Amino acid sequence: MEQNIKERHMQIAKNAKNHEEAIALAAKPLLEDGYITKDYIDEMIQAIEEHGPYIVLADEFALPHARPGESVKKTGLSLLVLKEPVDLKGNPVRLFVVLAAKDSSSHNEVLKALAEFLMEKKNIQDVIACENTEEIKKILDERW
Amino acid sequence: MKVLAVCGFGVGSSMILKMTIEKAFREFGVEAKVINSDISDVSGQKADAIFSSPDIIGDIERRLGSSGVKLYGIKKYSDVEEVKASVEKLLEAKDMK
Repeated sequence: MEQNIKERHMQIAKNAKNHEEAIALAAKPLLEDGYITKDYIDEMIQAIEEHGPYIVLADEFALPHARPGESVKKTGLSLLVLKEPVDLKGNPVRLFVVLAAKDSSSHNEVLKALAEFLMEKKNIQDVIACENTEEIKKILDERW
Repeated sequence: MKVLAVCGFGVGSSMILKMTIEKAFREFGVEAKVINSDISDVSGQKADAIFSSPDIIGDIERRLGSSGVKLYGIKKYSDVEEVKASVEKLLEAKDMK
């Protein structure tokens, strides 16, 4: 798996009606590229209903994901920045990174790097402030 | 010291939480083995403490009953300060601080 997120899997949008719409939008590049089936989007949304908003890992950041399974064809990540935050069960979120994992280990190195990235709160704010995906890609290449 | 980092599936968030817990222990200068796990696997693991989200901690409490395992609810898995506060409580409870 590649080091971080492909630029064509990144999007910037103005807003989303609710967290379900935001997650579906964030996952769209992976769906269109054949990494996931539509079921995976429903599973990610269902996971929040079951387990609560723990995918909000840091202020304004969420990592939607579900169990590896039939609905994931290829391990990958996609990213969405919302210019206006959307509510995720009491947490305002502006940066979404969708994780689609084909098995329970192939993405571990990437997640470790993501964990280090997220512990610096400034990194999240810098990505949110980006005006285009090229700028986001540059930050991730340097710091992720 | 053995600690479990638990999320719903054991594949994504729990790995992130594991990294934050490891950082917190390093900052206290204490060695700990941190294992990430999913909620269904919790009963089979012998651990000194379990870290998870407040929602999931409730489920774990019901599953484990009175096992003596210390349980800590973490709202934001990447929040080093929040995780450190719970690790500090754990170390105090274990007389390691």
